[in-house]
Amino acid sequence: MIDPSKPDLEESVNVTEAHERVLRGAAAASRENKLTENGAEPVSMWVMALCFIPMLAAGWTLGNAGTLFSYKDTLKSGYVRVIPADDEAGGAPPGPALDIYMKKGAKIYSKCSGCHGPDGKGDGNAYPSLAGSKWVLGETEVFAMVVLNGLTGPTSSGKTYGVMPAQGAGMSGEDLAALMTYVRNNFGNSSGDVVTKQMGAAALEISQARAKAGAPVTADELTADHKKNLPGDPLEASLPIDPVTLEPVAAP
Amino acid sequence: MSSTTSQTPVNDAVRRAQIDISLRHPVMFFFTSGAAWLAVAILLGIIASAKVHSPGFLDGVSWLTYGRVQSAHISALVYGWGCQAAFGALVWLMARLSRQECRAAGIILVAGHVWNLAISLGILAILGGAGTGMPWMEFPAFAWVPMLLAYGAIAIWSMVQFKVRPAGHVFISQWYILAALIWFPWVFASAHLLVHGFAGNPVMAAAINAWYRSALLFLFFIPTGIAAAYYLIPKVTGRPVYSYSLSSLGFWSLAIIAPWAGMQKLAGAPIPNFLPYLGAAATILFAVPAIAVGVNLLKTAAGAPDTVVNSPSLRFTLAGVICLLVLALACVFLNNPAILPGTQFSMAGYGFDILALYAFFSFIAFGMIYFVVPRITRREWLSSRLIKMHFFLSVYGVALVVIVALFGGVMQGVGLEAYKQPWEDASMRAYPYAVATTLAWCFLLFSNVFFFFHLTLMWLRLGRRSSHPTLLGHAHHDDLHDATHGPEGDIDNAGPGSAAAAHSH
Repeated sequence: MIDPSKPDLEESVNVTEAHERVLRGAAAASRENKLTENGAEPVSMWVMALCFIPMLAAGWTLGNAGTLFSYKDTLKSGYVRVIPADDEAGGAPPGPALDIYMKKGAKIYSKCSGCHGPDGKGDGNAYPSLAGSKWVLGETEVFAMVVLNGLTGPTSSGKTYGVMPAQGAGMSGEDLAALMTYVRNNFGNSSGDVVTKQMGAAALEISQARAKAGAPVTADELTADHKKNLPGDPLEASLPIDPVTLEPVAAP
Repeated sequence: MSSTTSQTPVNDAVRRAQIDISLRHPVMFFFTSGAAWLAVAILLGIIASAKVHSPGFLDGVSWLTYGRVQSAHISALVYGWGCQAAFGALVWLMARLSRQECRAAGIILVAGHVWNLAISLGILAILGGAGTGMPWMEFPAFAWVPMLLAYGAIAIWSMVQFKVRPAGHVFISQWYILAALIWFPWVFASAHLLVHGFAGNPVMAAAINAWYRSALLFLFFIPTGIAAAYYLIPKVTGRPVYSYSLSSLGFWSLAIIAPWAGMQKLAGAPIPNFLPYLGAAATILFAVPAIAVGVNLLKTAAGAPDTVVNSPSLRFTLAGVICLLVLALACVFLNNPAILPGTQFSMAGYGFDILALYAFFSFIAFGMIYFVVPRITRREWLSSRLIKMHFFLSVYGVALVVIVALFGGVMQGVGLEAYKQPWEDASMRAYPYAVATTLAWCFLLFSNVFFFFHLTLMWLRLGRRSSHPTLLGHAHHDDLHDATHGPEGDIDNAGPGSAAAAHSH
């Protein structure tokens, strides 16, 4: 509003002049429309009707959800899950006895590799080598007693290392047999024969029947009582056996 | 009265120009580097898509194997192009609507560079094989943590501007901008922390990942696009928004519905059975806000059909709004129990993402860029022909994507559901649609070459110096060019008196 009595306060012309340069450069900004208030059109009936379609679809979807935590509705009718007749490894193919025992033994040996090393060589100082050891490769009962009960005093080489703790706790005859087969045929050892799970089971019985049951064996005790092979029928190294039951199977 | 009518428009224009100048560098940086990332994303998309139907393509290069290229493609598209275009739009819109100059343009610009650096490292890590394997969350920690920090630096000033705005009416766009600004860090931080930060159940991590993808679309890109459309359409046409009731219906239904969507992608997985169905129902219900927004905006624009045809911004924005309705249709179609199992593992999911990211969001972002860039560079777009090329090739490309999403996905799903048939049948059904996807990306690459070239010229301030906007005429004969552009270098009529004449067409 221009007040004729106060012409000095009328500044629109001056403002325009002052900003003329800005406005020339900013043609795009000066030709813009102003944003206006929202219109007040009511929401028409057909928009409502259009919105009902997704609402119906959503309701139908929730209605098909079934019970909250049940999955039976999500399976197709007639769909049958194929479950192997035996347990999971039931279909595993049979293989040569030596290979299958060695494979099982390799897993168990990981307990021993902390001291005797992944290569079975020990460290020559606190831990003896398993490679080329007379007790490992000799009579199987000797080896089994050392594993199950531990050892104190000199080893087969005559040298005294530290005390070997007993490893028998929780070990089954099968585990023992696999471990012994692994060590006797690895790290440069090659006895070529298999310690069967029956031999392993016999070793557990012999170990429990020792006079000083629970104490580590000594070289003297091994020589006196255990210098023989474990009882049991030998198993042909190349005979195919089942990897789960470790029983021989008919050749295919 | 004469003083208010002569004074206010001048002051307004000066204020607008000052706001534009204050944000020139960060906004232009976001738009140009976003467009460059878009080109990278499309190139990677062509390679990835070609590998689907021609597995021998580039198979000798380990860093271009499908698993890496596809991840790099979607990451570049979402974080390189999408997020940066959104940041540029959000920052500029909030400054304009709060009528505040930006006082932290330098910090935003630095944060933008950090964001870009993090994305570059992240994409290289993905191509190098260090991706995390979670779709849309592929970036290793050294990329997503700086991105979150950079986001904070970019977004906080817009919230400050809103806080100190002149009291009064809050425009609809501001609702959506604030919502997008707040929802992004919630969605991004919670998903990344729960999946990458804490060791949780891997099935739940997959569910969170599915929610994240959906939430980033529905709670960040969709509100950002809607905010820009609610600004551009009334602004360019000069008409009020059609209905306030529809505006509130659209906003609040989106806010209530969208956070529930997403987990339907895990239907049949060992998560509580109601989660996938709740997600499917919420995704279907997204059609309600989409219809409210779409109808409101189309009704607003319908009053000025000539402006829509001639204005580059409006053409892109309107195409985006129509694609929002198509997206709503896709939501209802793909997520009902009859279709969902079949499309769950088909190309429909990817097609849907592209529909939302490109057909809706990118079209509106292009409209926004065509509106904002002349204002902050103070130059007019060079060529209406380049804009038309960009528009039509984009429309063809997106139309192909829609066909792939809605039809090809279902076809492939039918093949996948026939579990007694060999797997090969499903892949043979998908084959033609995989070829169509590659073709679509080629169209989009062509279209964006024109766009990037045009935008780079504007960035170099090589645009036309004129007071006449670059408009899209019905024909492009040479003699009509002057009629739509106005004469080259004609800046003398730029004063406020002639402003009405300049924007009247």
